[in-house]
Amino acid sequence: MALPNQQTVDYPSFKLVIVGDGGTGKTTFVKRHLTGEFEKKYEPTIGVEVHPLDFFTNCGKIRFYCWDTAGQEKFGGLRDGYYIHGQCAIIMFDVTARLTYKNVPTWHRDLCRVCENIPIVLCGNKVDVKNRQVKAKQVTFHRKKNLQYYEISAKSNYNFEKPFLYLARKLAGDPNLHFVESPALAPPEVQIDMAAQQQHEAELAAAASQPLPDDDDDAFE
Amino acid sequence: MSSSAEAEHRGVEEEETTGGAVEDEDTGAQIAPIVKLEEVAVTTGEEDEDAILDLKAKLYRFDKEGNQWKERGAGSVRFLKHKKTEKVRLVMRQSKTLKICANHLVIPTMSVQEHAGNEKSCVWHASDFSDGELKDELFCIRFASIETLGMHVADLIMK
Repeated sequence: MALPNQQTVDYPSFKLVIVGDGGTGKTTFVKRHLTGEFEKKYEPTIGVEVHPLDFFTNCGKIRFYCWDTAGQEKFGGLRDGYYIHGQCAIIMFDVTARLTYKNVPTWHRDLCRVCENIPIVLCGNKVDVKNRQVKAKQVTFHRKKNLQYYEISAKSNYNFEKPFLYLARKLAGDPNLHFVESPALAPPEVQIDMAAQQQHEAELAAAASQPLPDDDDDAFE
Repeated sequence: MSSSAEAEHRGVEEEETTGGAVEDEDTGAQIAPIVKLEEVAVTTGEEDEDAILDLKAKLYRFDKEGNQWKERGAGSVRFLKHKKTEKVRLVMRQSKTLKICANHLVIPTMSVQEHAGNEKSCVWHASDFSDGELKDELFCIRFASIETLGMHVADLIMK
């Protein structure tokens, strides 16, 4: 199962499969966790992209290999092959697009055909959008299937850590597991010569004139 | 509600207020754990430092290839002063996951400039050590209000 970017590590790692309709925000959610950025542009994922994602917990460092799969049928590729040996999963839908919720049972069925009895989180994404089509009360599928449900927003970061926290707790069988500060190592001293300094300042001046993305919200949660 | 009142309220009734949302209910899925993890000692790497500033902010890094600012994280930005060496560094952690989004020394040659389009923001260059290797980064930080920026940060960095 090893892929080029799936090098083994000396701490616990888990294969996490992320499924759901195209455009529900799977890739954006993963990227948000990887780099902090929020990608507005939609570029459909082809096949699958695997990203290692580390978290620090009171029980040490853990890693999720996030298998970010194509939601669009035509880009689906191997499908069942991606699910093999999945140890946990996220099923994503978009609360602003009713059809993506209607398709959740299909994703769940396909997933469970390959992965039996793994912890699964259902995520209703884009809850920051005012015009919702799927209200929280209308989401009932998770109750029938014993899934955990979270309303999330990859844009505002609302509940964005919860799916990983839930999965980590279930995989370890420890309801008290929680995220802790990763060690901030002392940065080494750097000598910067005049030429480098001038170059930085020139770059800085140019950067300072570029607009910030999404600078209208004043809540930093 | 003022933020201090809110913080107090949370302290008293944390379970109810943070766990009360309907979507937080655990459906009680019975799944056998696949690993056994032992509690470990947590080291923040900040044990020998004092926080001389601690503010909520949003951090951006400049993507030179795309010539655009990209979000890096939102959470607490702190200036930490070493108890012995008195060196000061900037450490910012993402809220909730507590991951590091900036970690660099604050040195006299650092020049901090205002961001042209946003008076609550400023920009600077740093040799950032977030990932455990030094990387040249252009950062931009944005605060909730200009007062926050003006009173605390500009003072501290620019002098």
